[in-house]
Amino acid sequence: MDDLLAEFIAETREMLAASSGEIVAWEADPSDRARLDAIFRFVHTVKGNCGFFDFPRLAALSHAAEDALADCRAGRREPDRALVSAVLAIIDRIAALVDAIEAGSVLPEEGEAELIAALGLDDEEEEGEEVAAPRIRDETPAPQADAGTGQPPATSKTHAHPPPGPPAQRTIRLPVELLDRVMSGISDMVLARNDLAHRLRQAGTQPTIDGPFERLTAILSDVRDAVTRMRMQRIETLLGALPRLVRDLSNELGKQVMIDVDGGDVELDREMIETIRDPLTHIIRNAIDHGIEAPAARRAAGKREIGLITITARQSGNTIAITIGDDGRGLDEARIAAKAEAMGLISAAERAQMRREKLLDLIFEPGFSTAASVSNISGRGVGLDVVRQNLEKVGGSIKVASEPGAGTRFTLQIPLTLSIIAGLTVETAGQRFAIPQSHVEEIVEASHSALAFTRMGETALVTFRGKRVVCLMLDALLGLARPAPEAEAARGATLVMLRLAGGMLFALAVDRIHGHGDLVVKPLAPAVMRCGLYAGSTLLDDGQPVLLLDIANIAAMHQLAIDKHSRLEIAAEEREASIARSGVQAMLFSDFAGRRMAVRLELVRRIETAPASAIDLSGPHPRAVIDGLILPLVGLPDEALTTPRLRLLRLTDGSAELLLAVREIEDARTLDGALNPVPDDPLAEAVTLVDGRPVTLIDGHTLFASHGAAPEIAARARCVLPDDDWARTILAPLVEAAGYAIVPPASADDKTVTIIFDEVYEVAEALGRPITGPVIRLRNQPEAPAGAPTIYRYDRAGLLAALAAARTPRPAGDRA
Amino acid sequence: MSEELLVIIQIAGRRCALPALAVRSVIELAAIAPIPRAPAHITGIAALRSQALTVIDCRRALGLAAEEWPTDHRAVVVAQDGHAYALRVDGIEDITSAIGAPGQVPGGFGAEWSRAARGLIETQIGPALLLDPAVLIAGSELARSESEAAA
Repeated sequence: MDDLLAEFIAETREMLAASSGEIVAWEADPSDRARLDAIFRFVHTVKGNCGFFDFPRLAALSHAAEDALADCRAGRREPDRALVSAVLAIIDRIAALVDAIEAGSVLPEEGEAELIAALGLDDEEEEGEEVAAPRIRDETPAPQADAGTGQPPATSKTHAHPPPGPPAQRTIRLPVELLDRVMSGISDMVLARNDLAHRLRQAGTQPTIDGPFERLTAILSDVRDAVTRMRMQRIETLLGALPRLVRDLSNELGKQVMIDVDGGDVELDREMIETIRDPLTHIIRNAIDHGIEAPAARRAAGKREIGLITITARQSGNTIAITIGDDGRGLDEARIAAKAEAMGLISAAERAQMRREKLLDLIFEPGFSTAASVSNISGRGVGLDVVRQNLEKVGGSIKVASEPGAGTRFTLQIPLTLSIIAGLTVETAGQRFAIPQSHVEEIVEASHSALAFTRMGETALVTFRGKRVVCLMLDALLGLARPAPEAEAARGATLVMLRLAGGMLFALAVDRIHGHGDLVVKPLAPAVMRCGLYAGSTLLDDGQPVLLLDIANIAAMHQLAIDKHSRLEIAAEEREASIARSGVQAMLFSDFAGRRMAVRLELVRRIETAPASAIDLSGPHPRAVIDGLILPLVGLPDEALTTPRLRLLRLTDGSAELLLAVREIEDARTLDGALNPVPDDPLAEAVTLVDGRPVTLIDGHTLFASHGAAPEIAARARCVLPDDDWARTILAPLVEAAGYAIVPPASADDKTVTIIFDEVYEVAEALGRPITGPVIRLRNQPEAPAGAPTIYRYDRAGLLAALAAARTPRPAGDRA
Repeated sequence: MSEELLVIIQIAGRRCALPALAVRSVIELAAIAPIPRAPAHITGIAALRSQALTVIDCRRALGLAAEEWPTDHRAVVVAQDGHAYALRVDGIEDITSAIGAPGQVPGGFGAEWSRAARGLIETQIGPALLLDPAVLIAGSELARSESEAAA
């Protein structure tokens, strides 16, 4: 019996969470039958469940709400604000009662009759509800026939009984601890498998064992996926409660706010959902309190009176991005700057050099709050700094973008699960460590001359993409000793460029990179966590334990996180960036004449390597086949190619593409020198100096004007013709001239265009043998019969147009 | 209580005992990954199947130099607050039952030992010092203050 009761409480709670969003949505659009039905189902279920137990008060409340909603469903009354508030109040009361039942306490009964009365039920027979009923009834005469929904009464009546809800997935409740045990069991199995795989490899190929072993591996990875999914929950459980929050807050603050939630089907680790609940709530509170203006102010600004908050959740790879946007007044840059200066976070000089984005990031600083007065909605002592900290703790990040007068958008990036992260394994002084992939910006070989490794006092600096960044030595950082000469030699063999959540970049020097993959992260003992260097431990495939570095904390320990010191670095970075903006981002290369050239980076779509056989010199202009596309090729040497492979820059102007053959690709650089025009060479936009040597910047406009072409599909489209002399002698040349290869019907596939006489087509269709792929139907008479998409067989223009249309590549799945 | 089972171990050449109820298992320690900048008594982490174990050197946890005593590759696994620890000792002798309750000795066992010891306990194979695993895990106060000063 206790189990049954617990089940009832849990189920009611779940439905409560789900339906609060529905109610607000329903209030916004009372004609929305689906919402009404959902709420009705909730109170109906509660009422039904009460029958099993002895809860007369719950039964009375849910019964009253059900009656009121049933009236709406039947069109006898029109839902209005008063009704919605009354239903909400009843649902709140149900929640309180359920809490009391669970705690075994008794909730005073006072006010429940009033709650029921507020529903303004029509049935006068019911005793004790006469007081409030007439007033509401006067407001809502609700004639039976044309009740708001616009639906004829007949339709409404068919729904008089609750329609069966969508077939719910069968579910059971499990303790999380049991799931964790299954999870760790699976992890053990994976390790055992890896060990076995290792031994099998040593033993050599054994077909009788390898087959079943492969199967075991596949099954294991399936099971692992499924178990991981068990811990997942749709983010809907989190987002579903937000409409109610927004409604209550906006009522409290006298603002009108609508909420638009999208992406509730994204799945997230249960614990992660709990972790982001508070940050999300906090940001929404902020948006309503500070972001969205009062209705009058909005009207004055030429906006809709109703503010809009949009929340979207999207999964991309191993992370989920949640954006919370409002269309309010936006962040006040000047006030943030003034506050930051007053708090001593930045100096006036720094402020002058800071870009808006960097300035806005200051709102995540400890103790920062832009509200002039602390209201009881936002200013609860929990600032955005705590929000950011909490997100970073679980490997997430938060960013803000804001447009003055147009709104603010927060973007939360969070890893899919707490326990599995993508990681990079590095080695230093003979020991391996893991780094969360989310921090890794790039891996750079330190031998690369462009890094300009320097030491300033005790601090090492490298230059990366024109920016000076601090370089930490992992071995020194961890206090790993090694013989001095070896240390200097091995030092900084490989640099891992790490990006902190705040956008700060720094380099970590390691001996070498070991590998990367998904790491199952286990918690560390408290004494080890206190070191502040490690976030967890993980086991590599060979069963060796490895520590996961806590990058955010390591950076903080070295004062690399956003604080005064690093802000200077950023200011320096921004000075360079402002130069960079005046300069040109370009790809440097040398051409076959040995000249150093550059092409604007925006034009470069990809760097390709093509075999010499892909180059076609037969036409008037050289062409090459890349990815099944024929593209014009420029920059080839005059003499024959000597290398079997060719490096190509694939350039695009947005629509046309062309290939630029190069001898060697140097690097992407910023051209910060003066650009000197070259009037006598049309292909050169300018000449500039890079590292003291001249570089010719190619004029993209001229290049595309003379060589650009829309990509042509390399494989000739195929076409099946009718089997007669007319087709063979008269139609075939036309089709071939249009770029088609004629194929026999037997080798047709679903991309082959079929030209067929209409009578034949109709016969085929009547016989139930439809033709796959695009079809062009021909008719014998010039006049088109109505309705049939046919072409007269001597309509040359029509035929060519149809053939061209059939060849245009369409997105996959659209070819039928 | 008088029949309490004990795991008899050797730490720094002394015979010690741990309550068998606190001991999860005795394992063969494989690869240990050292933890740079961790407190001195934490040797590193090791793997027990897919679990991570924090390896504690009991000699260091009692403020002694570990190098002076040989050690075998077995360790005692204990759990605390959901984390598993492998206690490294000189050697594991036996499992036996206690005779009577732990008692004190006039003058104590020395500062470090007294902190970790619950008292002297008589066993079937002779007297042993009954240790509290939690104190071993927490490590030596001295070592801890040193490492904090260094950090």
